[in-house]
Amino acid sequence: MFGDLRGLEPARVQGMDWFRQWMDEVFPDSGAADIRSVPRGSFPMINVGRTDDTVRVYVFAPGITASELAIDIQDNVLTVSGKRDAEAGNGEQQPPRSDFRRERFRGEFSRSLALPDGLDVERAEARFRDGVCEVLLPKREELKPRRINVQVA
Amino acid sequence: MNDITRRDAGLPESAESNQRGDSLLPPVDIFEEGNALHILADMPGVTRESLHIEVDSNVLSLEGDVALEMPETLTAIYAEVRAQRYARRFTLSHEIDSDAIEARIDNGVVHVTLPKKATHRRRRIEIQAA
Repeated sequence: MFGDLRGLEPARVQGMDWFRQWMDEVFPDSGAADIRSVPRGSFPMINVGRTDDTVRVYVFAPGITASELAIDIQDNVLTVSGKRDAEAGNGEQQPPRSDFRRERFRGEFSRSLALPDGLDVERAEARFRDGVCEVLLPKREELKPRRINVQVA
Repeated sequence: MNDITRRDAGLPESAESNQRGDSLLPPVDIFEEGNALHILADMPGVTRESLHIEVDSNVLSLEGDVALEMPETLTAIYAEVRAQRYARRFTLSHEIDSDAIEARIDNGVVHVTLPKKATHRRRRIEIQAA
């Protein structure tokens, strides 16, 4: 799936740059140095991919139902917002529980993402499955890749 | 009981991380409620079929593959989730009844229930009137 993302990262020089490799091992990569990159633990995580005719945004939002997640697009900026209660599901009153770890995100969230130009926002679709929301944004007709026939002169 | 939090085998040891490849460490909540210990883990994209939970000599391992349907021609523009699987391991303490462990997955959240052995449950002691 996103395994091919590794191709986008700078290649590791084998053998040459041993010091950098060692440093990378000791201090693991904290994530991409993208202007939109976020610290680890941000919620929800977002992946964006592209095919010839669509741009697909994958929002990794576990524990949320489709109705609790809002996706808005304005001026080519996609905003994902919602709220998550990290409780165990049953809402009934229970005796106070003792927590040993609380790493999961809880509360309200909102994240924005700039989209590439040339998308037909009117025809956007979103699907939600297994805690992942997939947003399909079709490209506008005039921006799809096309082949130009070469005429014989 | 605190064993489970202290001896969390989740942090990558160099030998182990090589062997397991690149996997994500899912965030977890661990709490005690009723006569059981509960683990909630965020594993979005994992289905019931792609989730594997095992107990082997007091080590509970949660592993799941991200099973997303994606077109073959998809190329990544930007990615925060950069691995295809989640993996995390916990050391259980002896008071857990490993035969009675139950798990379910709902919307990408795994809920593992680890009941305590009957001999380790909390008991209220009746106080007799003298």
